[in-house]
Amino acid sequence: MKPDAPRERTGRRVPPLARFLVRRVLLAVLMAWGITLVTFVLTNLVPGDPVAANLGQRALGDPAIVAQWRAEHGLDKPLWQQYLLHLQGLLHGDFGTSQQSHRPVADDLAEFVPATLELAGAAILVSLVLGVAFGVIAALRRDRLADHTLRVVSLIGISVPTFWLALMAFYVFFYRLQITPGSGRVDVALGSAPPVTGLQTVDALLAGRWDIFASAAGHLVTPALVLALYTIGLLTRFTRSAVLEVLGQDYVRAARAKGLPGRVILFRYVLRSALVPVITVAGLAFGSLLSGTVLVEAIFAWPGIGQYAYKSATTLDLPAVMGVGLVVGVVYLAINLVVDVLYGVIDPRVRLQ
Amino acid sequence: MATRSQKAAVLLAGALTLAACGSGGTSSQAPADGGGAGGGKTLVIDTSFDLKTADPGRTYEPTGLIVGKAVYETLLTFDGADVTKPVPALAESYELSEDGKTLTLKLKQGSTFADGSPITADDVVFSLTRVRDMKGTPSFLLDGVEVAKTDDTTVTLTSKTANPALPYILPNPALGILNSKLAKEHGATADAQDKAEQWLNSSSAGSGPYTIESFNVSSQVTLKANPKYYGTKPAYDKVVLRNVEAATQKLNVQRGDSQIALNLSGDQVTGMPATLQVKKTASANVIFLLANQDSSISKTTPNAKFVEAVRKGVDYAGLLELAGEGATQAPGVIPSQILGALPPEQAAKRDVEGAKAALAASGLSNPTVKLEYPSELTVNGLSFQPLAERIQANLKEVGITVDLQPAPVTTALDNYRNGKEEMGLWYWGPDYPDPSDYLAFLPGKTVGLRAGWKEGAAKEIEAAGVKAAEAIGDDARKSAYAEVQNQLNAAGPFVPLIQPGQNIVSAASVTGIEYHPVWTVDVADLGAK
Repeated sequence: MKPDAPRERTGRRVPPLARFLVRRVLLAVLMAWGITLVTFVLTNLVPGDPVAANLGQRALGDPAIVAQWRAEHGLDKPLWQQYLLHLQGLLHGDFGTSQQSHRPVADDLAEFVPATLELAGAAILVSLVLGVAFGVIAALRRDRLADHTLRVVSLIGISVPTFWLALMAFYVFFYRLQITPGSGRVDVALGSAPPVTGLQTVDALLAGRWDIFASAAGHLVTPALVLALYTIGLLTRFTRSAVLEVLGQDYVRAARAKGLPGRVILFRYVLRSALVPVITVAGLAFGSLLSGTVLVEAIFAWPGIGQYAYKSATTLDLPAVMGVGLVVGVVYLAINLVVDVLYGVIDPRVRLQ
Repeated sequence: MATRSQKAAVLLAGALTLAACGSGGTSSQAPADGGGAGGGKTLVIDTSFDLKTADPGRTYEPTGLIVGKAVYETLLTFDGADVTKPVPALAESYELSEDGKTLTLKLKQGSTFADGSPITADDVVFSLTRVRDMKGTPSFLLDGVEVAKTDDTTVTLTSKTANPALPYILPNPALGILNSKLAKEHGATADAQDKAEQWLNSSSAGSGPYTIESFNVSSQVTLKANPKYYGTKPAYDKVVLRNVEAATQKLNVQRGDSQIALNLSGDQVTGMPATLQVKKTASANVIFLLANQDSSISKTTPNAKFVEAVRKGVDYAGLLELAGEGATQAPGVIPSQILGALPPEQAAKRDVEGAKAALAASGLSNPTVKLEYPSELTVNGLSFQPLAERIQANLKEVGITVDLQPAPVTTALDNYRNGKEEMGLWYWGPDYPDPSDYLAFLPGKTVGLRAGWKEGAAKEIEAAGVKAAEAIGDDARKSAYAEVQNQLNAAGPFVPLIQPGQNIVSAASVTGIEYHPVWTVDVADLGAK
């Protein structure tokens, strides 16, 4: 018997929240491993030869160059060995070398992921604020003009394809009305702030460069709003129904009968209860925001992971594709983890499951 | 309670709008004429990136060649858009021996790298040997060429067989001359162990009019003027190349957010406002059909009469209409810009009756063929899909059923490269602007093999090819390559179709724009009004 076993049985009990957390984190790690396996297998199932995609027409005619390229990129080894090497590299923080940029994939990701996070982060912030506000308004003004208007708006937000919206927004606000800046993250004439976090707005503030900050924030507005519109629509609908459901509960009616002010009822009772479904939707939406950025980034020439992923996929840059897949997968996992933990915090019953 | 939340929402929306307007205002302070905030002139060029590296010895992609041309100098170059005559650059003169095997170059004196050190014959020998021996994508340019220093100001390039193309190859930015001392300090070697690429992607070791300020393969490259440049100073202090989709490029250049857009299609440049300049030229890419000559791949396409029926059945004028402004028909595989191109009046014309007669003579009745092509590939903004559909309709009138087989480019390339396509629709862009690059279409060579055309399959054309490769002197070469193309057009498995248009749109303030078949534009040649 292990010496510490009795102590564990008789000693302090691990609190349920901590046990819940540990279980969730372990599960997440296991899932992350699963993601590496899935991305690796899927990537290698793609028909097409990465050599042909990467070497010029003439170089392909020279078997020595082709063989050297294959060896250089580890493509001459059996698949299972390639996977083990890939996994071993990942454990050391090595994502392999991108075939298109010839740089470590980790360096590429470090450069592009912050740009996408800045865009998606701004979008999620905007959608949380607007989506929840709109949802609450629609619920409180049920079946009145405001409700109908917001429902139509949210329906449009959900149904309009993002790339079309991005093109239209770029055309209308940048080209026609000339109120928003053009492509990219910041004016080329200004240069960019020294990278610290990789988030242009934050770095500009850290460097005290207000001109860069204003330009970066300005460049962020249209793509973030375009990206947010779908999530705003989704959150409006979910918040509306969640709030309506809570409003019909006995304890809200009781509170109202007691004569509590509407403000208190809304914030203390209704919003708190309506929060659980909203968190779920917001978490899922953040994931879809990440994939939605591919098209928005292309149209706004936003140097994020979307363009990198697209280029990697079309040039069969396998290490880069796997790197992107892993990062996006892990971000999804992290969000799910946060959502689960928030559940656990908000609703103690969840911890026991 | 409700009104309160409503107010809050309205306020928030208002604040966001204000933020949008506010920062929009800030950015529009940047003058649209290309002047930057830093005092000097900035030129912004929007292009769809095809870029992998800034190491000249590994550069092969269009965007990389723009960068390479600006940052590195080569021994010889071309003057403006004329690629039929190499002119001196780092070399002040060159001479090809009578047997075409030895090229002697005299180096210009007093030229320096961006760090101020002089350019020596040793730098030249190292740079060229490195490209050849590290086996990067462009190393074939110097296959079988020995590079040697005769004295401090003379370099000789010796080939085993006559190599009259060499002066046309040397201007390729891949053969830019590196500061060998600096490059070696950062891992450059003249063999496959070379490790200098990563360093060369952020710094430059050249003598060109620009140096690299920042380099990112998927979003942006910034060049700044080289203060030590001994030649004519470029007009712009800073050149920014941005990776932008064609649709966005158009809006950017119209709004003045960029000064040049490189990738607009013929459709996109129609109706441009008069304030912008549009330079329309045929690109050097030739789109062609191939009919596989391997009888194990097809029972139909090796039939010479069948190929004749296709050649006569295609409606070239209709294809040009699809391609839009700037496009021209390709009379042979060699594009119009390059020495040896066939004159336009020799281009094939549609002859439906002739095509039907050829098909009848082929002995095939109502043949069906598979036409493979890269579905999402665009060349100069022209997509292959509508071309393939038009060809299908053209050949239907002749009595040939074309079964369209689109595939993603990476998949389609596999079949094409392995010679497995019954018919294929592809394009060839020049590796260097010399007709010898087009000998690849002959039996047993790169493109010939892709059409199932093995060595010895057409002895007469092969002999004509050998003769062309060895011809010395412009006139002899011109007629030799014309002969090769005439024979190819008469009996080869290829049907040259069109050269799509290359449209460069620029702000009125930009002067001196020329389309160049190798490096698209030379940014140092651009001026400002």
